[in-house]
Amino acid sequence: MVDFTKLEQEITNSLSKVTDLESLNECRIKYLGKKGEISLLMKELANLSVEDRKKQAEILNTLKNKILSLIEDKKEELNDRNLNEKLSSETLDVTLPVSSSLGSIHPITQVIEEVVTIFGDLDFYVAEGPEVETDYNNFTALNTSEHHPARQMHDTFYVETQTDNMQNVLRTHTSPVQIRSMLEHKPPIRLIAPGKTFRCDNDQTHSPMFHQVEGLVIDQESNMSHLKGCLEIFLKTFFETDKLKMRFRPSHFPFTEPSAEVDIGYTKKGSQLVIGEGDDWLEILGCGMVHPKVLQNVNIDPNSFQGYAFGMGIERLAMLKYGISDLRTFFECDLRWNKHYGFSPLNFPSLIRDLS
Amino acid sequence: MKFTYSWLKEHLETEHQYNEVVDKLTAIGLEVESVQDTGLAYKDFIVGQVLEEEKHPNADKLKLCNVDIGREKVDVVCGAPNVTKGMKVVYAPVGSVIPVNQLKIKAAKIRGVESYGMMCSEYELGISNEHDGIISLEEDAEVGSSFADMSGMNDILIEIGITPNRQDCLGVLGVARDLAAAGAGKLKTREFKTKKGSFESPIKIEIQDNDMCPAFAGSYIKNVKNVASPDWLQKKLKSIGLRPISALVDITNYVMFDQNRPLHVYDADKVKGKIIVRSAQDGESFKALDEKTYNLKNGMCTISDEEKVLGLGGIMGGESTGCNLDTINVLLESALFDNVNTARTGRDLSILSDARYRFERGIDPGSTLEGIHYATQLILEICGGECSEIELAGKISDSLDTIDISVKNIVKRLGLEITNDEIILILNSLGFGAKKNGEIIHCTIPSWRQDIHGEADISEEIIRIKGYENIPTSNIRAINKVNKYILNSSQKIISKAKHFIASEGYNEFITFSFSDSKKSASFGEVEKLKIINPISEDLDILRPSLIPNLLGSIKKNTARGIESLSIFEAGSQYNSTTPEDQMNSICGVKYGLSNSKTWRSEKKEFDIFDVKNDLLNVINYLVPGNKKILISDEAPSWYHPGRSGKIILNKKIEIGYFGELHPRIANKFKIKTRVNLFELLIDNIPITEKKTTNKPQLILSDFQSVTRDFAFILDKDVKSSDLIKAALNVDTKIIKSAEIFDLFEDKSLGNDKKSMAIKVILQSEEKTLDENDINSLGSKIVEAIEKSTSGTVRS
Repeated sequence: MVDFTKLEQEITNSLSKVTDLESLNECRIKYLGKKGEISLLMKELANLSVEDRKKQAEILNTLKNKILSLIEDKKEELNDRNLNEKLSSETLDVTLPVSSSLGSIHPITQVIEEVVTIFGDLDFYVAEGPEVETDYNNFTALNTSEHHPARQMHDTFYVETQTDNMQNVLRTHTSPVQIRSMLEHKPPIRLIAPGKTFRCDNDQTHSPMFHQVEGLVIDQESNMSHLKGCLEIFLKTFFETDKLKMRFRPSHFPFTEPSAEVDIGYTKKGSQLVIGEGDDWLEILGCGMVHPKVLQNVNIDPNSFQGYAFGMGIERLAMLKYGISDLRTFFECDLRWNKHYGFSPLNFPSLIRDLS
Repeated sequence: MKFTYSWLKEHLETEHQYNEVVDKLTAIGLEVESVQDTGLAYKDFIVGQVLEEEKHPNADKLKLCNVDIGREKVDVVCGAPNVTKGMKVVYAPVGSVIPVNQLKIKAAKIRGVESYGMMCSEYELGISNEHDGIISLEEDAEVGSSFADMSGMNDILIEIGITPNRQDCLGVLGVARDLAAAGAGKLKTREFKTKKGSFESPIKIEIQDNDMCPAFAGSYIKNVKNVASPDWLQKKLKSIGLRPISALVDITNYVMFDQNRPLHVYDADKVKGKIIVRSAQDGESFKALDEKTYNLKNGMCTISDEEKVLGLGGIMGGESTGCNLDTINVLLESALFDNVNTARTGRDLSILSDARYRFERGIDPGSTLEGIHYATQLILEICGGECSEIELAGKISDSLDTIDISVKNIVKRLGLEITNDEIILILNSLGFGAKKNGEIIHCTIPSWRQDIHGEADISEEIIRIKGYENIPTSNIRAINKVNKYILNSSQKIISKAKHFIASEGYNEFITFSFSDSKKSASFGEVEKLKIINPISEDLDILRPSLIPNLLGSIKKNTARGIESLSIFEAGSQYNSTTPEDQMNSICGVKYGLSNSKTWRSEKKEFDIFDVKNDLLNVINYLVPGNKKILISDEAPSWYHPGRSGKIILNKKIEIGYFGELHPRIANKFKIKTRVNLFELLIDNIPITEKKTTNKPQLILSDFQSVTRDFAFILDKDVKSSDLIKAALNVDTKIIKSAEIFDLFEDKSLGNDKKSMAIKVILQSEEKTLDENDINSLGSKIVEAIEKSTSGTVRS
């Protein structure tokens, strides 16, 4: 008669001494393998009486299951220990540098997209015109005749081609897009026209090329009060502050009457401008009611239609909003500047998510 | 325009502080550009009197002075030759700052003697260039008093920007008139007695062209003594930065800046015969007061005598009849000149003058006689002499323009409720006549407002005085529709392309639309792109391509130690300088290292396949859906002939180029390593106005796919695209893809040979392919490739 208690004791003992998967396997073979002790005992059952066989078989099965479970536990323990050992050897210096492969969007593009997003929400569409313009579109149609003193303030670039015997120019403002658009479309019109503009001027605060955005609204009732409302929404949204203070004051542009310049309130904190606080004023844009003569020039009856126009400098908007201090750096092509002031290509200005 | 507050107050009676007036100026459209307290620089300076004066013991040219400054007596070492005992001086105490050089006065030992403070010259105070001696004040100057108060330096200098329409405010009087209208005070009327001329002017005036010069008034004054101007006049001119010259000249300048009435004074003894206002003849020349000689052209308005040109009407007088201190008899001119003609002449001759500036903006005809009377009076007072009757040629129109305005229209334009009565009140305050007639107001325009031509102009006057701050703010979100077309298709393409390309690692640059004709000649016909007046020689054309400016930026950046540069620009390039010849393009440039040597990678340089990959990706993004893309090796001449390609969309549309920059061009830009770039021809991208939101149906096969590899020995010039095409054409349904996965050249393959290997994926949509199917397709593929490339399969 086998002493099962002793056998169990013996197996438990030898299992507890196992320290690796190999010896565990040996152990399993020794007891449960084909010729293992338990297996042999199982075979011997055949020689017993039915009654004894049943009894012994039960005991043996219980023992076998117990051992199997012990082996499983041991196996898990050993696996776990092995993994821990492996883990402790698998360390990396996670502070080693990685690099980003995204490029950047120029602040001018960013600001134009912001402006388009805001005005798009107000039902404006984006119009365009060429950078080389006829003298007529750039000046005459905009009520600035050949000898108008305002022309001399424009420092115009001239090119060698002519239209109607007048030298073509590089457009000095985006306003000729007004003319092109009004000749093409009948009112009501609501458009903005961002683009490049050129003046023969190059110093600390002037660049021979810069960007403007023009706005034009023509219908039967748009008046100065609408102009004020339109610019208020725009400026508050653009500068992302409801506290924005705005001041309209009289000015003069040949193509608007009355004309106004718009200032916004700001204060200086250190070298930073803070828009929306303080009592100082900063000029931000020019605007006015479209001059009846301009409407006549594009065959729109000024007795039936009226509206407003405005224009502003993109660089100026960018400088004020993003704290860029020098106008000329926009076009200097210094990669360090573009990486610092540029925007993620995945950033699409939106009124649903973020404008900037 | 500059003026002082005290000068303004000669015309404006006001209780307001200067800062309130300054705010008002801006509010009515006379934008204040600067306000300067001129007394501030002089606030520490005191009137002193030299009590003792003796030679410095250690220096021949220095003197030791004891100066009474009221509160104490101080010792000052002084080097001025004119210092004498009893002299009243301007004393700068220790701690004060000398205006001309911003030096702070300290107590100091000068050649061993203590000196406290300094006695100042006009130069040191920034009053004039006089630095030979210190200022000697009038004897009645009170010792210890403030020099600023005593000298009238204590004033506020205001500079305003005058928009081109507001010619009426180019004189202090006009500014005061506008301020008075806006409620900032009351306009003063200046009383002066007009002395009647006692004789007829010996110089007659003839106007030959009344369009150029509608009126010319002359006043002959004999036996004058042209002297230095009196103190009050000198101070006035100096206060706005003008240099006093002599009484006759100073008076004309004064009247111009005070009343916006340009005048000219001739030495009458140098005028031969009568004054003739006539057009210049071609070939005539004339030496102006600026000492330059100008060649005149027919149509320019000259003031001549019977022999020569004396001046250019409304622009500048001539040297031949200029006044000096010996002048005895003078002719004073007050005239009207046509603004367009004045502007044209001034521009053609490039003469800038205060007179031109005013005449080209339009001068109040009413000022012609008023100005000549006033100036004559001043000349008589200051220079003595006797005046003639005024000689007037031409005609000064005294009829005023009128406009009828509709109150309804004004309200509709301004978006502001305003009553008839208020409109009339405002117009009256500005000097307009305004009479109500039902819904209409009949307005008479004052002669000084040359800028008012229509109802819109009047509406500005009304709101200017009423105040822009009173315009209400209205909501503009009134249109009940969704704006479908904020951006048109081409604008959308550019915006999407920019963001996509930037996401491929490129940084967006914006360069000038100008370029250097010498460096750009390889990119287009630069003779057709010239700018007449370029900003500089190396920006003399419109750019024929985006490439040259981007190349220019490479050197700048590598000089700053940047090893890897991925940049792009989206913008216009030009074929000629007509408005129609502008096209949109995007150019991307990769230069230098694609990977620097890092802890996990070896360094690698960009190559043509980097830019090809970027270009194809952006094209796939911009032109989604079914399309055929063909790559040929015919890129434009600015690319390396053997390392460049052209992308053709749907068999005929040239949509982009990529490749290595031609080494000859790289050399021109002094770039030493290879540059790879792409161009995307935005305008050639087909625009599908009717966009379908449906994607093509997706058919996915559930049967197993099989991969087979084949390698071929080929002639070196065989293109991978030929292999792929040949393979795909064997069975377009079952062959899902064919890709090149290996490429090498080795001498063992033979001269001018290479090995290329292709991986083909086979999958049927109907069944699992069996060994027979696969082998049969395999041999067909080999056969097709061998046939089309004359290569042989490697076993």
